[in-house]
Amino acid sequence: MGRGALMAGTVLACGLGVVWALGGLGPLQGWILEQQRAAQSALAGAVRAIKGGAPMALAGLLAVCFAYGFLHAAGPGHGKLVIGGYAVGRRVPFGRLAGLALVSSLAQAAVAVTLVYGVVALLGLGRAEAEGLAEEVMAPVGTLMVAGVGLWLAWRGLRGLRGQAAQPGQGHGPAQHDNHAHHHHSHDHRPDHAHHPHDHAHGHSHAEGAVCDSCGHAHGPTLAEVQGLTGWRDALALIAGIAIRPCSGALFLLILTWQLGIAGAGIMGAFAMGLGTAMVTVAVAGMAVWAREGALATLPGQGAARLLPWLELTAGLVVALAALMLLTAGL
Amino acid sequence: MRAVWAGVAGLAALVVPLPADAHPHIFIDAAIEVVFALDGQAEGVRLRWSYDDFFSLTLVAERGLDPDFDGVLTPEELAQLNGFDMGWLPEFQGDTYALLDSAPVALSRPMDWTVAYEGGKLISTHYRRFDAPVDLGAAALVVQAYDPGYYTAYTVVDATAKGRDDCTVEIFELDRAAADQILQDALAEFAGDEAAEADFPAVGAAYAEEARVICEG
Repeated sequence: MGRGALMAGTVLACGLGVVWALGGLGPLQGWILEQQRAAQSALAGAVRAIKGGAPMALAGLLAVCFAYGFLHAAGPGHGKLVIGGYAVGRRVPFGRLAGLALVSSLAQAAVAVTLVYGVVALLGLGRAEAEGLAEEVMAPVGTLMVAGVGLWLAWRGLRGLRGQAAQPGQGHGPAQHDNHAHHHHSHDHRPDHAHHPHDHAHGHSHAEGAVCDSCGHAHGPTLAEVQGLTGWRDALALIAGIAIRPCSGALFLLILTWQLGIAGAGIMGAFAMGLGTAMVTVAVAGMAVWAREGALATLPGQGAARLLPWLELTAGLVVALAALMLLTAGL
Repeated sequence: MRAVWAGVAGLAALVVPLPADAHPHIFIDAAIEVVFALDGQAEGVRLRWSYDDFFSLTLVAERGLDPDFDGVLTPEELAQLNGFDMGWLPEFQGDTYALLDSAPVALSRPMDWTVAYEGGKLISTHYRRFDAPVDLGAAALVVQAYDPGYYTAYTVVDATAKGRDDCTVEIFELDRAAADQILQDALAEFAGDEAAEADFPAVGAAYAEEARVICEG
């Protein structure tokens, strides 16, 4: 993409933000609410069709579930917050973010299935208790984890800024490269620097630093290995933070289908809802990456490297703040 | 640095309306009937709540009712179901709010409830008495239907006055843009005041649909 096209992403994201903040999406929200209501009716119809043995009824249910998941994700929510914040704050490629969004949505469905069949069915709890558990215990835990991810982002941004302050105005010293690589993920615009540590990492096991220290390399774990590790930790924290809060719609469907003796259809439906939700989160990730790259493209050369820790710090603080607001609002 | 603010604004786009996160999982079509006594004073409100198909199905299945799945409940099953939504916790305000020219009017706990199951929908009714009879005079009596937590979305589908024929009854649909503005204002205030945690703004009220009764009397 050219610089202009990249910057268009930033402009579009900001424009959407302003319109949203001013309530300009009100009519859209009204429309979404209507569609949510329609999807809810369609869901009941689809369950009845399966129970009544209608042909293609299962396919119908899955289609409705997909739409339901998409519509219920179309409003603001913690999954989009954390994926979007992470996408702005860390220079992660879109493909990986999309993968994260998809996995976390499916994991969210898996948590709902586990909650219903592992806890509700075994302990004989009812729908109200399951929802109470989801709303009062699991949701705050998930929100806290999201806040943790935000604080972690902010802390790394702060560390990056301190690193910059330590070497002001350096040109191409090794320390500068070090600092640089730390904030870029390996897929940046400098193939010579990016590929080197990458290849290197594949030649070694992704073990802890201690193992590598003993394997004869003077420089210890490579940057790519460190990034790989933090990347995995990031990924797990993100997925867990999103997944641990099961969607009420999925819980409703799972409990209903279990009681009607069509449990398999309900489980497939829950995952179809997850796929629908993932579509929205993936779109948010794409928007955030576009906006981030647009903002970086406005700056020549080293400017982007200077900006990254700021983005990381700000994105982290916004995510943490919003999560804490959500938490206090929910209490 | 402009670019930094661009990034912040982009993020804000994702975050700003966040505490409105709760999206509804139950949809209720509400009918409101304001009941007048012989002396012309309003004495209470009868509410009819028609639950959406999915919630109705879930609730009926959960109770193990309608095992033959024909959408018809026996009188015994209905009797068993009656009052399913009337076991209100003390803090539950009933999602119905009355105002006389914007001053709140207290309503009793629910009484005289009924239930029916028609076309796959559970329909319950209940009556709530005003604490004291309300003399409308020239003022507007407003009855709002909303869930402050927005877990349930109410749509007012019908509004009537019973016992007087000189009253006009209008349904006001919510003004979503205005409601969003109220939400933003409330959040702005909330963000600057930690003590506000205790009473997070009941923004659901802004999303209320309402019936407005004005009598010539």
